[in-house]
Amino acid sequence: MLGTVLLFPLGYAVWLSLFNYDLGHGTFEFIGLGNYGALLVDSRFWETLTRTLMIVLAAVGLEFCLGLLVAYGLYRLTFGVRTLNLLMFLPSIVTPVVAALFLRWIFIGRWGLLSATLIGLGIFPPDFLGNPGWARATVVLADAWQFTPFMILVLYAGLNTVDQSQIEAAQIDGAGIWMLLFRIMLPSIRPLIVFVLAIRLMDAFRFFDTIYVLTSGGPGTATETITLYTYALAFRLLQVGKASALGVLTLLFVAALIAVMIRLVYRRERGAF
Amino acid sequence: MSRLRISRRSIVAATLAAPAILGARARAAGTIQMVSHRYPALEHYAEKMRSAVPGATVNTQLMPIDKALELITIALSSKADTIDILYANDSNFQTFVKNGWLRPLDDLWAKYRDEFKLDDFPEATRKTYTHDGKLYVIPHTLNAMMFFYRKDMFDAASKAPPKTITEYRDLAKSFNSPMRSGSVNCLKPVDAAINEAHWYFNALGDGWFDKDWRPIFNGAKGVQAIEVMKEITRSAQQGYTAAANDECMIAYQQDAGVMGLQWATRAKAMDDPAKSRIVGKIDWVAPPQGHARIAGDGYAISAFSKQDPDTLFRIIATSSNQANMRGAASLIIPPRKSLIDDAELAKANRFYPAALASYETGMPVPALPEFYQVGDFITRRILQALTGEMPVKQALDTAANETTDFLKGHGYYK
Repeated sequence: MLGTVLLFPLGYAVWLSLFNYDLGHGTFEFIGLGNYGALLVDSRFWETLTRTLMIVLAAVGLEFCLGLLVAYGLYRLTFGVRTLNLLMFLPSIVTPVVAALFLRWIFIGRWGLLSATLIGLGIFPPDFLGNPGWARATVVLADAWQFTPFMILVLYAGLNTVDQSQIEAAQIDGAGIWMLLFRIMLPSIRPLIVFVLAIRLMDAFRFFDTIYVLTSGGPGTATETITLYTYALAFRLLQVGKASALGVLTLLFVAALIAVMIRLVYRRERGAF
Repeated sequence: MSRLRISRRSIVAATLAAPAILGARARAAGTIQMVSHRYPALEHYAEKMRSAVPGATVNTQLMPIDKALELITIALSSKADTIDILYANDSNFQTFVKNGWLRPLDDLWAKYRDEFKLDDFPEATRKTYTHDGKLYVIPHTLNAMMFFYRKDMFDAASKAPPKTITEYRDLAKSFNSPMRSGSVNCLKPVDAAINEAHWYFNALGDGWFDKDWRPIFNGAKGVQAIEVMKEITRSAQQGYTAAANDECMIAYQQDAGVMGLQWATRAKAMDDPAKSRIVGKIDWVAPPQGHARIAGDGYAISAFSKQDPDTLFRIIATSSNQANMRGAASLIIPPRKSLIDDAELAKANRFYPAALASYETGMPVPALPEFYQVGDFITRRILQALTGEMPVKQALDTAANETTDFLKGHGYYK
């Protein structure tokens, strides 16, 4: 079962990546690592990889900071936590494509909710989806809007597992709320932080539906991530072999990134994760 | 009893065709599936197809052109029979034919010549859809990019429509304001951006390719053409980089833009009081310096369809018979001689003179089967240049290199 669901598609993608398989041209010939070689000298590959990294790091970084702040706020709150948690989790349960459509209607130039509101207030807004810088920022915000609640939920659960005796001892020693957070609580939930960051990093690297609906990778290639490039190769240019190679490269890259992250965080505590 | 064989191609085919299969409604037995680009005239034809042949159920799926072409490409490249009738224009039909995805129509055309008065289609129009002497598409529209402008505003400012693209640039700048853009540009990749770039490359540059399909759009004149385009887009409406024809049509209708290039098929909608705030205020001329895109749309039969070809042909031919085409004549330039020459129609549709003038001075996109695929590289690089992410020369050179590599991989330049 595991082989059918997981290993066969992966193995098949690796196998296809060794062929010049072009559905539009009808070619199917073995070229070994030719697709990998072509991608590694392809400027668009490096551009999309760099852009993906920037967008992923910005989005996950923002989600973590916001998530931590809100989770800590909830932790200190003495009433209404359940209701707030439930309300804040709503964006995460909306289908990404539907969420992206909502966001498109908010951010679209001139007619969008945000632009129209700003114009109503006498402020002429920037072109949120048409200007390269704003488009990237909007994409990051869109991801943060949808996935910060996940961070909040996990971090809030983590903060609640911290040993109360440690907290009380720190408070007796005069620790303030921020010192309590950064010196006592965060080190205590470090495995959970690595876990949630790793999950979100892997997930954000597959970032596709929201960008596809919001900007289609544009303007130009301003928000074209590696998954959008893979999609273009497979479904627009019909270069199935090259697209498979790009999928494999992405997998290797994400795996390496997570491995480095775990190694950095646990460099003094090998075997802890 | 034949053994079940699972081949490499069938697995890839199933994977790639999944969106097409799942995207369509559950395929009822005998239901004919039609996939098309969507604009008012094509909506009219789709409606006629649904009732064309008694007893034949036609499920019409209309969507923006990029989505339609993607869906068609995915389904046909995997030899799926999930599409029976498909939209094709003068450019992309070449791609479909080269890959063997369309059924030649010559036998059916001869069989139904008299019944559907098919000789009413001019020879030149039929030639547009002919490849290696075989006809593949039944024409439904002739289309030309016209220059739309706000006559009321031009009159108030005592200005005449531009005669050159630089005049257009200057006028756009002078009319530009935060609430109403001087220019309306539609530069969503791939199709919409190709439309505009085509005009600049041909009117100001040397065109797209030389006779051997080597890119020449990155020559000095091509670079200059995109520099002028870049200056014009400084007066463009918000979101122009992601705007296709629908968004641009709405920009005019909502009084958010003054002038620009747009298809003749969008002209009638300017005067629709239910949708437009500028009824009677728009006028049209042929694009300054000519060379804007002309095109034609029609419908073809998939080579992989399991449906009866006669029924499919009858559905397409009925939708484009003289009566049905007359019904669409206010939305397009009809490709039947009897309708083109109809004085009554010309009188009833005030955009006809400009549309015909635009058609005469326009030109189609290159007859390169891979044009939309290389257009993906070119239009994205042009947009990088327009949004200041890359210098124009560098962007066009990069696009030319990508195009050359792609075409070389497809057997060109041997």
